[in-house]
Amino acid sequence: MEISCLPISASHRAKLLSAGYTTLSSLSSVSPPQLSHLNVALQEAVDILKVSSESCRVEVQDGAVEFCKGAQTAWDMLSEEQALRHISTGSGDLDSILGGGIHCKEVTEIGGVPGIGKTQLGIQLAINVQIPYDFGGLGGKAIYIDTEGSFMAERAYQIAEASILDTFDNFGCQLKEIPEKLKAESFLANIFYFRICSYTEQIALINYLDQFLVEHKDVKIVIIDSVTFHFRQDFDDLALRTRVLGGMSQKLMNLAKKFSLSVVLMNQVTTKFTEGSFHLTLALGDSWSHSCTNRVILYWNGNDRYAYLDKSPYLRPASVHFSVTGKGIRDATSQCKRVRMM
Amino acid sequence: MPPLKNLEVEFPIIDANFQLFCASNGIFSVEDFLVHDIYALTVLADREANSEVLKQGIAQVHSIVDKLHQPWFNGLELLEDVNQNKYFLSTGCEGIDKLLGGGLRQGQLTEIVGPSSSGKTQVCLCTALHVADKNLGAVMYLDTCNSFSPKRIADMISQYSNDFIKEGKERRLNRIMRSIICRSVFDIFELLGVLNELASASEHKVKNLGTRLCLLIIDSISFLVTPILGGKDSQGRMLMSSCGTLLKKLANEHNISVLVTNHMVRGEGGILKPALGESWKSIPHVQLQLSCDRVRNICQATVLKHTFMASGVPAEFAIHE
Repeated sequence: MEISCLPISASHRAKLLSAGYTTLSSLSSVSPPQLSHLNVALQEAVDILKVSSESCRVEVQDGAVEFCKGAQTAWDMLSEEQALRHISTGSGDLDSILGGGIHCKEVTEIGGVPGIGKTQLGIQLAINVQIPYDFGGLGGKAIYIDTEGSFMAERAYQIAEASILDTFDNFGCQLKEIPEKLKAESFLANIFYFRICSYTEQIALINYLDQFLVEHKDVKIVIIDSVTFHFRQDFDDLALRTRVLGGMSQKLMNLAKKFSLSVVLMNQVTTKFTEGSFHLTLALGDSWSHSCTNRVILYWNGNDRYAYLDKSPYLRPASVHFSVTGKGIRDATSQCKRVRMM
Repeated sequence: MPPLKNLEVEFPIIDANFQLFCASNGIFSVEDFLVHDIYALTVLADREANSEVLKQGIAQVHSIVDKLHQPWFNGLELLEDVNQNKYFLSTGCEGIDKLLGGGLRQGQLTEIVGPSSSGKTQVCLCTALHVADKNLGAVMYLDTCNSFSPKRIADMISQYSNDFIKEGKERRLNRIMRSIICRSVFDIFELLGVLNELASASEHKVKNLGTRLCLLIIDSISFLVTPILGGKDSQGRMLMSSCGTLLKKLANEHNISVLVTNHMVRGEGGILKPALGESWKSIPHVQLQLSCDRVRNICQATVLKHTFMASGVPAEFAIHE
C-alpha cells in the first residue's frame, strides 16, 4: 500500500517521499527517532507510525465469507431492516407512499415552496418519533436544528396534544389517568433544540453531533430546518460551497448509519433557466441532489397541498394529497383548503 | 524504497562497508542506485580492496529491484488471458448488455453516470442480483449514500425466476442474499483501506480456493470524492487517481469486474457533464450515461466510452416493481 493513501498532512507526506519511503512496508521497521531526522517533530513521527501500522494490518481469515471488516451479507441486512420501525408523518396517505413513514438509517430531503408546510412536517416528525414503542412508535427523542427561527413551541405543544389523543383513539384505550411520559410537556422536553445563526455554526454543530449522540443514545431523528438558509447568502465561491456541503452530507450519512437514526433535511426552492423557460427546482445545486437517500417534494396543486416522492432506492414515484390542520399533518379532507390572504 | 541500511537486516551482504562505498558515490537509497550507471559503479568497485564482496552486493540490490516490477506479457498471452479468464457479467437487462457487448467485462472498470434518480442504483442492484444468481462468485457492494436496499433485491428476486436450477423460492433467496456483501463507506481514506483489504483477501483466497470476489460495486464514488476535489492543493485529485489506479489493479489482477456510479454537474452553457472532472474521465474503461424521462417513465442508456463497442447508441429500459 502506498504512502499516498495515508491520512497524513501534505508536508509530512512530501518529506517521507523525498527520503525514499514510498510504501507502508518500508515504514514498518522504522522507529520514531529515525523519522525525526527528516525534520519531523518526535510526537508527529509517533502519530504517523501509528496511522501506518493501523492501515498495515492484513486480515487473514480462513474460509470466512467476509472479505473485509465491517461487511455484512444482504441476508443479515434484510432481517435487520425488517425489524426497524418507521416514523409516521401523521398522514396515512403520505406514510403509504413513503413505505410506512420516514426510514431510519437514511437521509430524507424534503423540499418545497415557502408556506407549503415543511416546518409543520418537521415539528410533526419530532413529536411522532416520541410515540411509545407499545403504541407503534419508536419511543425516541428528537434533535431539531433551526436555522431560520421558524420553530414555535406553542405549535409543537398543540401538535403534541393532538398526536397523543389520536394515538389513544387508534388503540381504542381510555386511560383514566395519563402517565407522566405521555403528557405534552414531556414530549416537548424530549426535543433537543439548537438555533443556528451562520454556516460556520451549522458545520460546527454537525461535527459536534457525533459526540452528542454518543451521550444521548435514544435520539432517533435529526431534523435540520432548513439546511439551505445559511448557504444561499454570503458564499461567493460556489466550488467551495459544493465541497463544504458534500462534506456535511457525508457526515450526516455516517451519523444516520452509525446511530441507526433518520436524518430529515428541509430544502428551499430556486428558479432555474433550462430549455428556454424558467422552472422551480430545489436549491443548492446538482451535486446536493445526490446527497440524500430519499427526496420528497411538496407542492401546490390549485388550493391543495401535494407531496411527491421524487427519489427512493426501492419505492416508485408517487404523489399524494395531504393537509395541514390544527392538529398537525393529516390526511386530506375536502374541508381543508388554503386560505388566500386577500 | 527504503534507505540502503534498512536492507541490511534481510541481506547481510549489504553491510556497513558496502554502504560506505555507496555513500562515497552519492547513493543512499535504492532509488539512487537505480539512477546511477551500474557499469561505472562496478568499475569503481574493482579498484577497491574488497571488490568481490562489493560486486556481490551490487548484484544483490539488482535482484531485489528485479523482483519489484510486473512480468512481461506478449500479445498472444494477453489474448489467451482475456478468452479464458475474463468473462462478461450480465447486468440482467438485455438492452444494456447489448450496448456493452455482452455485459460488464471482468478486468475492466465500468462507470455509470446520470442525473439524480435516473436509475443508477437500480442498475447496480439488478446487476448484483443477477451475478449472485449465476453463482459466479461473491458480490461486494460498497455503499456511500445508504441506498443499498435488501428489501428491493428481495422484491426483484421474486420477479425474476430462474428456469435452469430447480430450487425453492426461500432457498434461492437465501443463496443469492448470502452472496451479496455490503459495507458502508463514508470517507475516501476508508475506501482506500477497504480496497487494500480486498486486494490482500483476494490474494489469500486464490491460494485457498474459497469463494472469490467477482463483482465490486461502488455507489457512488463521486459522493466520496467531491468534498476533497478542488481547492488550493491537489491532494484531492491525487487521492482520486490513487483510487482509480487501485480499482483497475484489483480488477486486472483478480479478474474482478468493477462498477462505479458518478453524478452529473452543469458545465458551460448549461450542458450536463459527468462530475469529477477531466482527470477522472480517462480512468474508467467504459462509460454509460443514464437519463430518465419522467413523463413516460422510460429510462435511456447511452454509451459514452467503450473499449470496443460503438458509442452514442441509445437503449431504452424501464424500472418495474
